[in-house]
Amino acid sequence: MSVVSSSEISRPPIQRKGFSYDRLIRYFFASNAGLTIVILLLIIAFLLKEGLGFFPGYRRELEIYRITGMEFVDLSRTNLTSHEQLTSLLNRAYFAEINGQADRELKRSTEAAALVADIDDFTASVRDSYFSATEEAAPAAEVIARLKAQYAALLSLAIKDLPPSPHLTEEERKGIIDAMMQRPIDNEDTPEFVTKLAGEYATARQKFAAPLEEARTRIDAFEAAGSELNSLVGEMTSLVRVSKDALNKSDILERERKSLLAAAASAKDPATRERLQQEAKTALAEVPDIRETTEKVLAKKSQCSEAHQKLHQSITGLTAQLTFSYQQAESVKLQRAALAAMPAFLKELEAAPAKIEAWNAAEPVHLSAAIHSFLTGKSWVTGGEWQDFYGILPLLTGSLMIAIVALLIAIPVGIGAAIYTNQFASLREQKLIKPIIEFIQAIPSVVLGFIGIFILGEALRTLSTSPALAWFPGFPMDERLNIFTAGCLLALMSIPTIFSLAEDAINNVPAAYSEASEALGASKLQTTFRVVVPAAFSGILAAVLLGFGRVIGETMVVLLVAGNRIKIPDFSAGVGAFFQPAHTMTGIIAQELGEVPVGSVHYRALFVVGILLFAIVLGINATAHHFTRKMKH
Amino acid sequence: MISEETLIRKGTPKGKGLDLGIRTMFAGLTYLILFVAVLLFCKICWDGAPTLFSTKAPFVNVSFLLDKNQTLHVFDNPQGERLQLPASEYMAYVKTNGEASVFNHQSFSYSGGGIIGPIVGTLLLTVGSIIIALFFGVSAAIYLSEYAKDSPFIHVVRLAILNLAGVPSIVFGLFGFSVFVLAVPIITDEPSSRSLFTLPLFASDYVISFQGWNSSLMAGCATLACMILPVIITASEESLKSVPQGFRDASLALGATRWQTIRRSVLPFSLPGILTSSLLAITRVAGETAPIMFTAAVAAKDDLPWEGMSNPLDILSSQVQALPYHIYTLAARIPNSEYTQRAQYGSVFVFLLLVALMSFSSMYLRAKVRAKLKW
Repeated sequence: MSVVSSSEISRPPIQRKGFSYDRLIRYFFASNAGLTIVILLLIIAFLLKEGLGFFPGYRRELEIYRITGMEFVDLSRTNLTSHEQLTSLLNRAYFAEINGQADRELKRSTEAAALVADIDDFTASVRDSYFSATEEAAPAAEVIARLKAQYAALLSLAIKDLPPSPHLTEEERKGIIDAMMQRPIDNEDTPEFVTKLAGEYATARQKFAAPLEEARTRIDAFEAAGSELNSLVGEMTSLVRVSKDALNKSDILERERKSLLAAAASAKDPATRERLQQEAKTALAEVPDIRETTEKVLAKKSQCSEAHQKLHQSITGLTAQLTFSYQQAESVKLQRAALAAMPAFLKELEAAPAKIEAWNAAEPVHLSAAIHSFLTGKSWVTGGEWQDFYGILPLLTGSLMIAIVALLIAIPVGIGAAIYTNQFASLREQKLIKPIIEFIQAIPSVVLGFIGIFILGEALRTLSTSPALAWFPGFPMDERLNIFTAGCLLALMSIPTIFSLAEDAINNVPAAYSEASEALGASKLQTTFRVVVPAAFSGILAAVLLGFGRVIGETMVVLLVAGNRIKIPDFSAGVGAFFQPAHTMTGIIAQELGEVPVGSVHYRALFVVGILLFAIVLGINATAHHFTRKMKH
Repeated sequence: MISEETLIRKGTPKGKGLDLGIRTMFAGLTYLILFVAVLLFCKICWDGAPTLFSTKAPFVNVSFLLDKNQTLHVFDNPQGERLQLPASEYMAYVKTNGEASVFNHQSFSYSGGGIIGPIVGTLLLTVGSIIIALFFGVSAAIYLSEYAKDSPFIHVVRLAILNLAGVPSIVFGLFGFSVFVLAVPIITDEPSSRSLFTLPLFASDYVISFQGWNSSLMAGCATLACMILPVIITASEESLKSVPQGFRDASLALGATRWQTIRRSVLPFSLPGILTSSLLAITRVAGETAPIMFTAAVAAKDDLPWEGMSNPLDILSSQVQALPYHIYTLAARIPNSEYTQRAQYGSVFVFLLLVALMSFSSMYLRAKVRAKLKW
């Protein structure tokens, strides 16, 4: 210990008034403690600063959407899109049936073609140089010879590593390969046998298509029913696009003019100011007159209504005849999906004319409409050519569904492990369990995301294709990266949080409780589940809530593993909805912030998502904190 | 033999089977987690170790750690051998042998060479942010533990710390982007047009312009420091509080001022604890991706941060590569093929190894500090 110096001792014990060295130090430390408040306030302030501009901007976009008549076009367009989707489902069912029946021929033909393509790819480079060499008048003989030798060498290499062909016999495979081997360098024809296989496939298709002729005509009729609406929408689309572009351009010019004026106001010398003002004047945007085009579009109101009515009629007539007795499971599935969607589509068609008549371009778009559209919007569409929509619902559902999966796994496992470790495990077991769980906590989330993509996703999908699990809804999984995979990884991530907090809570239950319980003759198990765990209940609840907060706020795992499809999962699939890809609030920020121009509506939308996320997580944490405090009292 | 205890607990022998069953179930849950964790760790090690280690002396593939990251070119030479060369060697090969001797050429971004760039970048980011966070965090903890009385201010500070600890990392990314990248003041003679506002400095062309630091090491460090501040404060406060009150009383009784007491009798004893706990914060900083995505990290960079710099301070305002961001790039932006696996698993393996090392040494040191400092 160093000796306190004499000057420090001689200082008067009572502090001097005014400036004091010690007080200064105190203030220094206090200001550092205050820094946390400053940071928190800065976070809130800047999120709001960047985010709040979103709603006016989005309102303007929605206004343009309305006054240009795009909204009007979309009334018909959505129906057209669902008609197209239904048509494609019916078509897919039809072709799946034919291809399923002609499966053998299809596979033989594709496998043979794959063999040829593989060899062709392998030797393409030499052949290219051969053809470019022979284009010249008289290529040197040794060049040709060298290229031919190379070609032969490559050919023998190529056949070493060819794709498998389980549907071709050994002989057939050998025949194709031999034909390819003997093919001279300047011959690009496919071997005869391969052409023959393709022909066989075509005949098989024809053969199986014949009994389905009726289906073909009806599907074609279904498709043709939409053509009138299709051409109408096409016309209107090109009309409104012109006015939208004009309006967007004038908005940009107006913004430029404002910034020029601002620059002029702050310019130092008069000459520059004059020049900037002049520029601002020339940049003055005239508001384009879009009324004319809008009226042109509106003139089609009655036509649109009629087209809808006609479509409704013809489809009502067709629906009953669209059930075909397919044999392939795939076709049956697709057909069932198409027919299931039909009643809703018909309802939409029926309601459409009324909506079209009621639509009014002059109806003002209020700020509340923008807020409403953000909070209840079912689509998040950005960077499109048509119209951007910022609806939070698909992202929110994605985040919540992933959190549900994660918590369903993490709560039993995390709390169970906490109870076991604290109540039953020996000291040696504890010394093994705790460090490993602490290590799980330290695994960076991006590594977990990596594991999800490269290990878990593939493993789960392979598992889901096993026939023993086919009864499970949603199996086999369509996508390797989906809500469930992400949820599993996030469970692993939140287990340490839940475990350590729950273990703390159990540990904090006064020893007197369990002692009293045991003194009354309760067994260890009774003591644990009737006394200790109930006493720690609010602490355990806080642990679960903090785990939930962690899962909702996690970014990298969901960005990498959730599949990033911005769409509300299809809940008609039941539990299967959890095996579909989704996008999340955190993921969308991470994915899009780097690509959007600073200050744009899209950029601000991401900040609003951030505000929402911030609010949700703070709410969860505050609740958790409330429970922790309750535990202490 | 019936022991005394069983005589007292009459109910116990009856439910023995159930008792055992429930115990086993809970044990099963616990060991399931351990099993999954160990399994994943082993899988990464199994696939990643061949990149880093080799069977030949010196057993460590140093070039993977020390080479710069490059694009990997895969092609056949005229003899039909499959070659895998990083961009620089590929260029040399093409120069000597000509374009015509390259067949079936494929290239894989980020998959060739080594990972020195990301390693160095992560090191710089970690060191920078830890220095900032330790300075402010330990100071704040000193105030909370040594000076603070129960006042409204303290209450608010504690609330702020609590809330800050729960803010999602991506929100820190947004915060860092809007504050450090776009808004903090710099001194310059040419303010950018996006500057929020400018303050003239006396008698010079220079102005203080609130235009941010751009995406840079500096902005990344500041963002990360804000993120781990609550962790550091909590850990430091705990460590300061564990110093017995008697130390302070004795020092104050001898006539020392508050600051002398802190400096001579409290800090020296709590410092080991503070440093070990901050090791844990280091693991967190090193592993975070979301906050640096927009504030500091860049996917590809040819030079190391200090190369081609006239002024060493320029490092602070340059972008860096970072291991977690590199892994994100490798996982999300390039296809998974046999040629990219070396880089992918190798990087993850190195990263996980570093994290495990820090994590376990933190645990070990903490146990040691606790055992040593017993009053």
